[in-house]
Amino acid sequence: MNHIKFSWKECAGHALFLAVFLGSWEFACSRGWLDPTFFGRPSAIAHFLYEGFVSKPKLWLDLGYTMLGTLTSFVLGSVLAVLLGLTFVAFPRFERAADPYLTLFNAMPRIALVPLFLLWFGLGLGSKIAVGTSLAFFIVLANTVAGIRGVSGDLLTLTRSLGASPLQLFTQVTLPSAVPVIASGLRLALVYSMLGVIGAELIAAEHGLGQTLAYMQSTFNMNGVMGLLLVLALLGMLLTLAMSRVERALLKWQ
Amino acid sequence: MAAISIKNLTIRFGPRVLAVEDFSLDINEGDFVSIVGPSGCGKTTVLNQLTGLLPPQEGSISILGEAPREGNADLAYMLARDCLLPWRTTLTNACYGMQMRGVPRADAEAQARQLLAQVGLAGFEDSYPKALSHGMRQRCALARTFALRSPILLMDEPFGALDAQTKLALEDLLLQLWQAQRRTVIFITHDLAEAVALSDRVIVMSARPGRIVADVPIPLQRPRSIRELQKNHQYHEIYTHVWEQLERGIQLSGDAGQPAR
Repeated sequence: MNHIKFSWKECAGHALFLAVFLGSWEFACSRGWLDPTFFGRPSAIAHFLYEGFVSKPKLWLDLGYTMLGTLTSFVLGSVLAVLLGLTFVAFPRFERAADPYLTLFNAMPRIALVPLFLLWFGLGLGSKIAVGTSLAFFIVLANTVAGIRGVSGDLLTLTRSLGASPLQLFTQVTLPSAVPVIASGLRLALVYSMLGVIGAELIAAEHGLGQTLAYMQSTFNMNGVMGLLLVLALLGMLLTLAMSRVERALLKWQ
Repeated sequence: MAAISIKNLTIRFGPRVLAVEDFSLDINEGDFVSIVGPSGCGKTTVLNQLTGLLPPQEGSISILGEAPREGNADLAYMLARDCLLPWRTTLTNACYGMQMRGVPRADAEAQARQLLAQVGLAGFEDSYPKALSHGMRQRCALARTFALRSPILLMDEPFGALDAQTKLALEDLLLQLWQAQRRTVIFITHDLAEAVALSDRVIVMSARPGRIVADVPIPLQRPRSIRELQKNHQYHEIYTHVWEQLERGIQLSGDAGQPAR
Protein backbone atom coordinates (compact mmCIF):
# COMPACT_ATOMS: atom_id res chain seq x y z
CA MET A 1 0.00 0.00 0.00
CA ASN A 2 2.79 2.42 0.82
CA HIS A 3 4.52 2.16 -2.50
CA ILE A 4 2.21 4.67 -4.16
CA LYS A 5 3.86 7.82 -5.43
CA PHE A 6 1.52 10.61 -6.41
CA SER A 7 2.07 12.66 -9.50
CA TRP A 8 1.42 16.41 -9.18
CA LYS A 9 -1.85 15.92 -11.03
CA GLU A 10 -3.06 13.46 -8.45
CA CYS A 11 -1.84 15.75 -5.67
CA ALA A 12 -3.87 18.58 -7.15
CA GLY A 13 -6.86 16.23 -7.31
CA HIS A 14 -6.54 15.36 -3.63
CA ALA A 15 -6.08 19.03 -2.69
CA LEU A 16 -9.21 19.90 -4.63
CA PHE A 17 -11.20 17.11 -3.02
CA LEU A 18 -10.11 18.13 0.49
CA ALA A 19 -10.83 21.78 -0.22
CA VAL A 20 -14.34 20.95 -1.43
CA PHE A 21 -14.95 18.59 1.50
CA LEU A 22 -13.73 20.99 4.20
CA GLY A 23 -15.30 23.97 2.44
CA SER A 24 -18.77 22.44 2.31
CA TRP A 25 -18.40 21.29 5.94
CA GLU A 26 -17.51 24.85 6.96
CA PHE A 27 -20.26 26.30 4.79
CA ALA A 28 -22.88 23.91 6.20
CA CYS A 29 -21.87 24.94 9.72
CA SER A 30 -22.05 28.64 8.97
CA ARG A 31 -25.53 28.25 7.45
CA GLY A 32 -26.67 26.22 10.46
CA TRP A 33 -27.32 23.00 8.45
CA LEU A 34 -24.78 21.15 10.58
CA ASP A 35 -24.61 21.70 14.33
CA PRO A 36 -20.97 22.44 15.27
CA THR A 37 -21.70 21.19 18.79
CA PHE A 38 -22.01 17.67 17.34
CA PHE A 39 -19.71 17.81 14.32
CA GLY A 40 -17.13 20.50 15.03
CA ARG A 41 -16.10 22.99 12.42
CA PRO A 42 -12.97 22.87 10.23
CA SER A 43 -11.84 26.40 11.06
CA ALA A 44 -12.31 25.80 14.78
CA ILE A 45 -10.53 22.42 14.53
CA ALA A 46 -7.60 24.11 12.82
CA HIS A 47 -7.59 26.73 15.53
CA PHE A 48 -7.63 24.06 18.23
CA LEU A 49 -4.65 22.27 16.65
CA TYR A 50 -2.79 25.55 16.15
CA GLU A 51 -3.31 26.46 19.77
CA GLY A 52 -2.46 23.01 21.07
CA PHE A 53 0.72 22.55 19.08
CA VAL A 54 1.92 26.10 18.36
CA SER A 55 0.64 29.01 20.39
CA LYS A 56 0.03 27.25 23.74
CA PRO A 57 1.83 23.99 22.98
CA LYS A 58 0.51 21.62 25.65
CA LEU A 59 -0.48 18.82 23.23
CA TRP A 60 3.16 17.96 22.51
CA LEU A 61 3.49 16.58 26.04
CA ASP A 62 0.48 14.31 25.51
CA LEU A 63 1.76 13.27 22.12
CA GLY A 64 5.12 12.46 23.72
CA TYR A 65 3.48 10.27 26.38
CA THR A 66 1.44 8.39 23.82
CA MET A 67 4.46 7.87 21.57
CA LEU A 68 6.64 6.79 24.47
CA GLY A 69 4.01 4.28 25.57
CA THR A 70 3.56 3.02 22.01
CA LEU A 71 7.25 2.54 21.27
CA THR A 72 8.00 0.97 24.64
CA SER A 73 5.10 -1.47 24.22
CA PHE A 74 6.22 -2.27 20.72
CA VAL A 75 9.84 -2.95 21.63
CA LEU A 76 9.01 -4.84 24.79
CA GLY A 77 6.28 -6.95 23.20
CA SER A 78 8.33 -7.72 20.10
CA VAL A 79 11.52 -8.67 21.92
CA LEU A 80 9.65 -10.92 24.35
CA ALA A 81 7.68 -12.49 21.50
CA VAL A 82 10.74 -13.19 19.34
CA LEU A 83 12.56 -14.71 22.30
CA LEU A 84 9.60 -16.89 23.23
CA GLY A 85 9.08 -17.81 19.57
CA LEU A 86 12.67 -19.01 19.30
CA THR A 87 12.26 -20.99 22.51
CA PHE A 88 9.11 -22.58 21.12
CA VAL A 89 10.88 -23.67 17.97
CA ALA A 90 13.78 -25.07 19.97
CA PHE A 91 11.48 -26.89 22.43
CA PRO A 92 8.27 -27.95 20.63
CA ARG A 93 6.99 -29.78 23.71
CA PHE A 94 7.13 -26.56 25.69
CA GLU A 95 5.08 -24.91 22.94
CA ARG A 96 2.47 -27.68 23.13
CA ALA A 97 2.20 -27.20 26.87
CA ALA A 98 2.02 -23.40 26.73
CA ASP A 99 -0.30 -23.13 23.75
CA PRO A 100 -3.70 -23.45 25.49
CA TYR A 101 -2.82 -20.78 28.05
CA LEU A 102 -1.57 -18.38 25.42
CA THR A 103 -4.68 -18.93 23.32
CA LEU A 104 -6.84 -18.31 26.36
CA PHE A 105 -5.04 -15.10 27.27
CA ASN A 106 -5.03 -13.86 23.69
CA ALA A 107 -8.78 -14.45 23.48
CA MET A 108 -9.42 -12.06 26.38
CA PRO A 109 -10.58 -8.63 25.23
CA ARG A 110 -7.55 -6.58 26.21
CA ILE A 111 -9.54 -3.42 26.80
CA ALA A 112 -11.51 -5.25 29.49
CA LEU A 113 -8.25 -5.87 31.32
CA VAL A 114 -7.46 -2.16 31.54
CA PRO A 115 -9.12 -1.67 34.95
CA LEU A 116 -6.98 -4.50 36.33
CA PHE A 117 -3.83 -3.12 34.75
CA LEU A 118 -4.64 0.32 36.19
CA LEU A 119 -4.83 -1.26 39.60
CA TRP A 120 -1.60 -3.18 39.18
CA PHE A 121 0.54 -0.71 37.25
CA GLY A 122 -0.96 2.63 38.20
CA LEU A 123 -2.49 5.52 36.30
CA GLY A 124 0.79 6.37 34.55
CA LEU A 125 2.64 4.83 31.63
CA GLY A 126 2.89 1.38 33.24
CA SER A 127 -0.70 0.36 32.62
CA LYS A 128 -0.59 1.72 29.04
CA ILE A 129 2.53 -0.24 28.29
CA ALA A 130 0.95 -3.37 29.75
CA VAL A 131 -1.98 -3.14 27.32
CA GLY A 132 0.15 -2.24 24.30
CA THR A 133 2.68 -4.96 25.03
CA SER A 134 0.04 -7.65 25.48
CA LEU A 135 -1.33 -6.81 22.02
CA ALA A 136 2.00 -6.55 20.19
CA PHE A 137 3.33 -9.70 21.83
CA PHE A 138 0.84 -12.18 20.38
CA ILE A 139 1.06 -10.84 16.85
CA VAL A 140 4.84 -11.04 16.77
CA LEU A 141 4.86 -14.42 18.51
CA ALA A 142 2.63 -16.02 15.89
CA ASN A 143 4.68 -14.57 13.04
CA THR A 144 8.01 -15.56 14.57
CA VAL A 145 6.95 -19.17 14.93
CA ALA A 146 5.45 -19.26 11.43
CA GLY A 147 8.52 -17.62 9.92
CA ILE A 148 10.96 -20.04 11.49
CA ARG A 149 8.81 -23.06 10.65
CA GLY A 150 8.64 -21.92 7.03
CA VAL A 151 12.37 -22.22 6.40
CA SER A 152 13.19 -24.31 3.32
CA GLY A 153 14.35 -27.82 4.10
CA ASP A 154 16.59 -27.82 1.03
CA LEU A 155 18.54 -24.81 2.28
CA LEU A 156 19.04 -26.51 5.63
CA THR A 157 20.19 -29.74 3.96
CA LEU A 158 22.63 -27.90 1.74
CA THR A 159 24.02 -25.88 4.62
CA ARG A 160 24.40 -28.91 6.86
CA SER A 161 26.21 -30.74 4.07
CA LEU A 162 28.66 -27.81 4.06
CA GLY A 163 29.49 -28.54 7.69
CA ALA A 164 27.69 -25.58 9.27
CA SER A 165 27.32 -25.49 13.05
CA PRO A 166 23.83 -25.20 14.57
CA LEU A 167 24.56 -21.53 15.26
CA GLN A 168 25.55 -20.95 11.63
CA LEU A 169 22.44 -22.78 10.46
CA PHE A 170 20.41 -20.39 12.54
CA THR A 171 22.14 -17.15 11.61
CA GLN A 172 22.73 -17.98 7.93
CA VAL A 173 19.51 -19.76 7.01
CA THR A 174 16.74 -19.88 9.59
CA LEU A 175 16.82 -16.30 10.80
CA PRO A 176 17.13 -14.51 7.44
CA SER A 177 14.38 -16.61 5.92
CA ALA A 178 12.09 -15.82 8.87
CA VAL A 179 12.77 -12.07 8.75
CA PRO A 180 10.12 -11.16 6.14
CA VAL A 181 7.38 -12.94 8.08
CA ILE A 182 8.52 -11.46 11.39
CA ALA A 183 8.75 -8.01 9.78
CA SER A 184 5.15 -8.05 8.60
CA GLY A 185 4.18 -9.02 12.15
CA LEU A 186 6.18 -6.09 13.50
CA ARG A 187 4.43 -3.65 11.21
CA LEU A 188 1.06 -4.79 12.50
CA ALA A 189 2.32 -4.90 16.09
CA LEU A 190 3.38 -1.24 15.95
CA VAL A 191 -0.12 -0.10 15.05
CA TYR A 192 -1.67 -2.38 17.65
CA SER A 193 0.70 -1.05 20.32
CA MET A 194 -0.64 2.41 19.59
CA LEU A 195 -4.24 1.21 19.67
CA GLY A 196 -3.63 -0.47 23.01
CA VAL A 197 -2.00 2.57 24.55
CA ILE A 198 -4.70 4.96 23.34
CA GLY A 199 -7.44 2.58 24.43
CA ALA A 200 -6.00 2.45 27.92
CA GLU A 201 -5.52 6.23 28.00
CA LEU A 202 -9.17 6.71 27.08
CA ILE A 203 -10.21 4.82 30.20
CA ALA A 204 -7.90 6.53 32.65
CA ALA A 205 -4.54 8.26 32.47
CA GLU A 206 -2.50 11.22 33.67
CA HIS A 207 -1.26 12.24 30.23
CA GLY A 208 -1.61 11.18 26.65
CA LEU A 209 -3.66 11.94 23.56
CA GLY A 210 -6.23 9.31 24.54
CA GLN A 211 -6.71 10.92 27.91
CA THR A 212 -7.07 14.37 26.32
CA LEU A 213 -9.54 12.92 23.83
CA ALA A 214 -11.65 11.48 26.64
CA TYR A 215 -11.57 14.85 28.38
CA MET A 216 -12.67 16.69 25.22
CA GLN A 217 -15.49 14.21 24.75
CA SER A 218 -16.79 14.61 28.29
CA THR A 219 -16.66 18.42 28.00
CA PHE A 220 -18.37 18.35 24.59
CA ASN A 221 -15.45 20.00 22.85
CA MET A 222 -16.15 18.53 19.39
CA ASN A 223 -13.43 20.56 17.70
CA GLY A 224 -10.92 19.07 20.12
CA VAL A 225 -12.25 15.55 19.52
CA MET A 226 -12.09 15.92 15.73
CA GLY A 227 -8.65 17.50 15.85
CA LEU A 228 -7.25 14.75 18.07
CA LEU A 229 -8.80 12.01 15.93
CA LEU A 230 -7.04 13.53 12.95
CA VAL A 231 -3.75 13.61 14.85
CA LEU A 232 -4.15 9.98 15.90
CA ALA A 233 -4.95 8.86 12.37
CA LEU A 234 -1.93 10.72 11.00
CA LEU A 235 0.25 9.22 13.71
CA GLY A 236 -0.83 5.69 12.89
CA MET A 237 -0.22 6.31 9.21
CA LEU A 238 3.22 7.77 9.89
CA LEU A 239 4.24 4.79 12.03
CA THR A 240 3.17 2.30 9.36
CA LEU A 241 4.96 4.31 6.71
CA ALA A 242 8.17 4.47 8.72
CA MET A 243 7.99 0.73 9.39
CA SER A 244 7.51 -0.05 5.69
CA ARG A 245 10.57 2.06 4.89
CA VAL A 246 12.68 0.09 7.35
CA GLU A 247 11.25 -3.16 6.02
CA ARG A 248 12.05 -2.32 2.43
CA ALA A 249 15.60 -1.25 3.24
CA LEU A 250 16.10 -4.47 5.17
CA LEU A 251 14.48 -6.76 2.59
CA LYS A 252 15.62 -5.38 -0.72
CA TRP A 253 16.14 -8.94 -1.93
CA GLN A 254 12.39 -9.59 -1.94
CA MET B 1 41.83 -47.22 -4.44
CA ALA B 2 38.23 -46.36 -5.24
CA ALA B 3 37.14 -42.83 -4.38
CA ILE B 4 33.81 -44.15 -3.19
CA SER B 5 33.10 -47.67 -2.13
CA ILE B 6 29.64 -48.83 -1.11
CA LYS B 7 29.24 -52.42 0.06
CA ASN B 8 25.94 -54.24 0.60
CA LEU B 9 24.09 -51.10 1.55
CA THR B 10 20.54 -51.83 2.67
CA ILE B 11 18.28 -48.98 3.73
CA ARG B 12 15.03 -49.37 5.61
CA PHE B 13 12.51 -46.72 6.55
CA GLY B 14 10.86 -48.10 9.62
CA PRO B 15 10.23 -51.82 10.02
CA ARG B 16 8.17 -52.25 6.86
CA VAL B 17 9.64 -50.19 4.05
CA LEU B 18 12.70 -51.55 2.33
CA ALA B 19 14.03 -48.62 0.30
CA VAL B 20 17.34 -49.93 -1.03
CA GLU B 21 18.55 -53.50 -0.99
CA ASP B 22 22.08 -54.86 -1.18
CA PHE B 23 23.53 -51.93 -3.08
CA SER B 24 27.25 -52.30 -3.86
CA LEU B 25 29.21 -49.85 -5.98
CA ASP B 26 32.84 -48.85 -6.39
CA ILE B 27 33.60 -45.57 -8.11
CA ASN B 28 37.08 -44.72 -9.31
CA GLU B 29 38.64 -41.37 -8.73
CA GLY B 30 37.83 -38.93 -11.54
CA ASP B 31 34.92 -40.95 -12.90
CA PHE B 32 31.59 -39.46 -13.82
CA VAL B 33 28.95 -41.96 -12.74
CA SER B 34 25.21 -41.53 -13.16
CA ILE B 35 22.57 -43.39 -11.24
CA VAL B 36 19.24 -43.67 -13.04
CA GLY B 37 16.05 -45.35 -12.06
CA PRO B 38 12.32 -44.79 -11.69
CA SER B 39 11.23 -42.23 -9.13
CA GLY B 40 11.08 -43.58 -5.62
CA CYS B 41 13.81 -46.16 -6.27
CA GLY B 42 16.06 -44.75 -3.59
CA LYS B 43 18.67 -42.94 -5.71
CA THR B 44 18.54 -39.81 -3.61
CA THR B 45 18.52 -41.85 -0.43
CA VAL B 46 21.79 -43.48 -1.42
CA LEU B 47 23.27 -40.06 -2.09
CA ASN B 48 22.09 -38.74 1.25
CA GLN B 49 23.77 -41.68 2.95
CA LEU B 50 27.07 -40.51 1.51
CA THR B 51 26.63 -37.02 2.96
CA GLY B 52 26.24 -38.43 6.46
CA LEU B 53 23.05 -36.43 6.94
CA LEU B 54 21.10 -39.64 7.55
CA PRO B 55 21.91 -42.19 10.25
CA PRO B 56 24.12 -45.08 9.09
CA GLN B 57 22.42 -48.21 7.77
CA GLU B 58 23.28 -51.82 7.09
CA GLY B 59 26.34 -52.24 4.92
CA SER B 60 29.45 -50.10 4.67
CA ILE B 61 30.35 -46.88 2.88
CA SER B 62 33.81 -45.49 2.41
CA ILE B 63 34.58 -42.07 0.96
CA LEU B 64 38.30 -41.70 0.25
CA GLY B 65 38.82 -44.32 2.93
CA GLU B 66 36.60 -42.71 5.53
CA ALA B 67 33.10 -43.34 6.84
CA PRO B 68 30.44 -40.75 5.88
CA ARG B 69 30.21 -37.78 8.22
CA GLU B 70 28.17 -34.60 8.17
CA GLY B 71 30.06 -31.64 6.71
CA ASN B 72 32.72 -33.75 5.00
CA ALA B 73 34.77 -31.22 3.02
CA ASP B 74 35.68 -33.89 0.45
CA LEU B 75 32.09 -33.70 -0.81
CA ALA B 76 30.21 -30.92 -2.55
CA TYR B 77 26.47 -31.43 -2.75
CA MET B 78 24.20 -29.93 -5.41
CA LEU B 79 20.43 -30.26 -5.14
CA ALA B 80 17.57 -30.46 -7.60
CA ARG B 81 16.23 -27.01 -6.97
CA ASP B 82 18.76 -24.20 -7.23
CA CYS B 83 18.84 -23.79 -3.48
CA LEU B 84 20.21 -20.27 -3.60
CA LEU B 85 19.72 -18.12 -0.52
CA PRO B 86 17.23 -15.48 -1.72
CA TRP B 87 18.75 -12.77 0.49
CA ARG B 88 22.19 -13.20 -1.02
CA THR B 89 23.41 -11.82 -4.32
CA THR B 90 24.78 -14.04 -7.08
CA LEU B 91 28.31 -13.34 -5.87
CA THR B 92 27.68 -14.01 -2.18
CA ASN B 93 25.65 -17.09 -3.08
CA ALA B 94 28.57 -18.41 -5.09
CA CYS B 95 30.77 -17.71 -2.05
CA TYR B 96 28.38 -19.41 0.36
CA GLY B 97 29.88 -22.90 0.32
CA MET B 98 33.40 -21.58 0.68
CA GLN B 99 32.33 -19.24 3.46
CA MET B 100 30.79 -22.13 5.40
CA ARG B 101 34.01 -24.05 4.97
CA GLY B 102 36.15 -21.21 6.26
CA VAL B 103 37.80 -20.01 3.06
CA PRO B 104 39.06 -16.41 3.65
CA ARG B 105 36.65 -13.86 2.22
CA ALA B 106 38.97 -12.33 -0.38
CA ASP B 107 40.02 -15.73 -1.74
CA ALA B 108 36.43 -16.90 -1.85
CA GLU B 109 35.32 -13.80 -3.73
CA ALA B 110 38.10 -14.06 -6.30
CA GLN B 111 37.31 -17.73 -6.86
CA ALA B 112 33.58 -17.03 -7.09
CA ARG B 113 34.04 -14.20 -9.59
CA GLN B 114 36.15 -16.40 -11.81
CA LEU B 115 33.62 -19.25 -11.74
CA LEU B 116 30.68 -16.93 -12.30
CA ALA B 117 32.44 -15.70 -15.42
CA GLN B 118 32.95 -19.32 -16.52
CA VAL B 119 29.27 -20.17 -16.09
CA GLY B 120 28.26 -17.04 -18.00
CA LEU B 121 27.05 -14.91 -15.12
CA ALA B 122 29.57 -12.09 -15.38
CA GLY B 123 27.70 -8.84 -14.85
CA PHE B 124 25.07 -10.46 -12.62
CA GLU B 125 27.24 -10.58 -9.48
CA ASP B 126 25.05 -8.13 -7.59
CA SER B 127 21.65 -9.46 -8.68
CA TYR B 128 19.39 -11.25 -6.25
CA PRO B 129 18.03 -14.68 -7.21
CA LYS B 130 14.51 -13.33 -7.80
CA ALA B 131 15.90 -11.36 -10.74
CA LEU B 132 17.46 -14.45 -12.35
CA SER B 133 15.85 -17.09 -14.58
CA HIS B 134 15.81 -20.74 -13.45
CA GLY B 135 18.69 -21.55 -15.74
CA MET B 136 20.76 -18.65 -14.40
CA ARG B 137 20.07 -19.68 -10.84
CA GLN B 138 21.23 -23.18 -11.55
CA ARG B 139 24.36 -21.75 -13.20
CA CYS B 140 25.03 -19.90 -9.98
CA ALA B 141 24.53 -23.13 -8.02
CA LEU B 142 27.02 -24.82 -10.37
CA ALA B 143 29.52 -22.05 -9.64
CA ARG B 144 28.95 -22.48 -5.91
CA THR B 145 29.50 -26.23 -6.17
CA PHE B 146 32.62 -26.04 -8.33
CA ALA B 147 34.06 -23.22 -6.22
CA LEU B 148 34.44 -25.76 -3.44
CA ARG B 149 37.67 -27.63 -3.87
CA SER B 150 35.98 -30.92 -2.96
CA PRO B 151 37.31 -33.87 -4.98
CA ILE B 152 33.88 -35.52 -5.03
CA LEU B 153 30.68 -33.92 -6.34
CA LEU B 154 27.26 -35.31 -5.46
CA MET B 155 24.60 -34.01 -7.83
CA ASP B 156 20.96 -34.81 -7.17
CA GLU B 157 19.01 -34.19 -10.39
CA PRO B 158 20.55 -30.72 -10.71
CA PHE B 159 18.83 -30.03 -14.03
CA GLY B 160 15.58 -31.86 -13.32
CA ALA B 161 13.48 -28.71 -13.09
CA LEU B 162 14.75 -26.99 -16.24
CA ASP B 163 13.19 -26.79 -19.69
CA ALA B 164 14.78 -28.84 -22.46
CA GLN B 165 16.81 -26.05 -24.09
CA THR B 166 18.24 -24.71 -20.86
CA LYS B 167 18.97 -28.22 -19.73
CA LEU B 168 21.13 -28.97 -22.78
CA ALA B 169 23.06 -25.73 -22.29
CA LEU B 170 23.72 -26.51 -18.64
CA GLU B 171 24.72 -30.11 -19.36
CA ASP B 172 27.31 -28.75 -21.76
CA LEU B 173 28.48 -26.28 -19.15
CA LEU B 174 28.82 -29.04 -16.57
CA LEU B 175 30.87 -31.10 -19.02
CA GLN B 176 33.17 -28.13 -19.69
CA LEU B 177 33.72 -27.49 -16.01
CA TRP B 178 34.25 -31.14 -15.26
CA GLN B 179 36.56 -31.76 -18.21
CA ALA B 180 38.74 -28.83 -17.11
CA GLN B 181 39.27 -30.33 -13.67
CA ARG B 182 38.29 -33.96 -13.38
CA ARG B 183 36.60 -34.69 -10.13
CA THR B 184 34.65 -37.74 -9.09
CA VAL B 185 30.96 -37.15 -9.78
CA ILE B 186 27.89 -39.07 -8.75
CA PHE B 187 25.02 -37.73 -10.80
CA ILE B 188 21.47 -38.73 -9.94
CA THR B 189 18.92 -38.35 -12.70
CA HIS B 190 15.77 -39.89 -14.07
CA ASP B 191 16.72 -38.69 -17.55
CA LEU B 192 18.48 -41.48 -19.40
CA ALA B 193 19.69 -39.32 -22.29
CA GLU B 194 21.35 -37.00 -19.83
CA ALA B 195 22.99 -39.88 -17.98
CA VAL B 196 24.42 -41.44 -21.14
CA ALA B 197 25.66 -38.15 -22.54
CA LEU B 198 27.51 -37.08 -19.42
CA SER B 199 28.81 -40.26 -17.82
CA ASP B 200 31.61 -42.79 -17.92
CA ARG B 201 29.27 -45.30 -16.31
CA VAL B 202 25.54 -45.52 -15.90
CA ILE B 203 24.15 -47.46 -12.97
CA VAL B 204 20.55 -48.56 -13.49
CA MET B 205 18.40 -49.12 -10.43
CA SER B 206 15.14 -51.03 -10.15
CA ALA B 207 11.98 -49.68 -8.59
CA ARG B 208 11.64 -50.08 -4.84
CA PRO B 209 13.35 -51.82 -3.21
CA GLY B 210 16.13 -50.20 -5.21
CA ARG B 211 18.69 -52.66 -6.48
CA ILE B 212 21.35 -52.30 -9.13
CA VAL B 213 20.07 -54.06 -12.25
CA ALA B 214 22.76 -52.89 -14.67
CA ASP B 215 26.14 -51.21 -14.66
CA VAL B 216 26.80 -49.98 -18.18
CA PRO B 217 30.11 -48.43 -19.25
CA ILE B 218 29.70 -45.54 -21.72
CA PRO B 219 32.66 -45.76 -24.11
CA LEU B 220 31.96 -42.44 -25.84
CA GLN B 221 35.05 -40.34 -26.53
CA ARG B 222 35.98 -37.38 -24.35
CA PRO B 223 35.88 -34.44 -24.49
CA ARG B 224 32.24 -34.58 -25.44
CA SER B 225 29.80 -31.97 -26.49
CA ILE B 226 26.12 -32.52 -25.88
CA ARG B 227 25.16 -30.93 -29.17
CA GLU B 228 27.45 -33.16 -31.23
CA LEU B 229 26.37 -36.28 -29.37
CA GLN B 230 22.86 -35.80 -30.74
CA LYS B 231 24.24 -36.71 -34.19
CA ASN B 232 26.42 -39.58 -32.92
CA HIS B 233 25.14 -43.10 -33.82
CA GLN B 234 27.05 -44.79 -31.04
CA TYR B 235 25.41 -42.49 -28.53
CA HIS B 236 21.95 -43.53 -29.69
CA GLU B 237 22.87 -47.23 -29.67
CA ILE B 238 24.14 -47.01 -26.11
CA TYR B 239 21.06 -45.05 -25.16
CA THR B 240 18.80 -47.81 -26.52
CA HIS B 241 20.85 -50.44 -24.73
CA VAL B 242 20.63 -48.71 -21.34
CA TRP B 243 16.94 -48.08 -21.93
CA GLU B 244 16.36 -51.82 -22.36
CA GLN B 245 18.22 -52.49 -19.14
CA LEU B 246 16.11 -49.95 -17.34
CA GLU B 247 12.88 -51.44 -18.68
CA ARG B 248 13.95 -54.90 -17.61
CA GLY B 249 14.69 -53.57 -14.16
CA ILE B 250 11.26 -52.07 -13.94
CA GLN B 251 9.57 -55.27 -15.14
CA LEU B 252 11.59 -57.43 -12.74
CA SER B 253 10.35 -55.47 -9.78
CA GLY B 254 6.82 -55.42 -11.25
CA ASP B 255 6.36 -51.67 -11.02
CA ALA B 256 4.48 -49.56 -13.53
CA GLY B 257 6.58 -46.43 -12.89
CA GLN B 258 7.89 -44.89 -16.09
CA PRO B 259 11.14 -42.95 -16.33
CA ALA B 260 11.19 -39.84 -18.50
CA ARG B 261 12.38 -39.79 -22.13
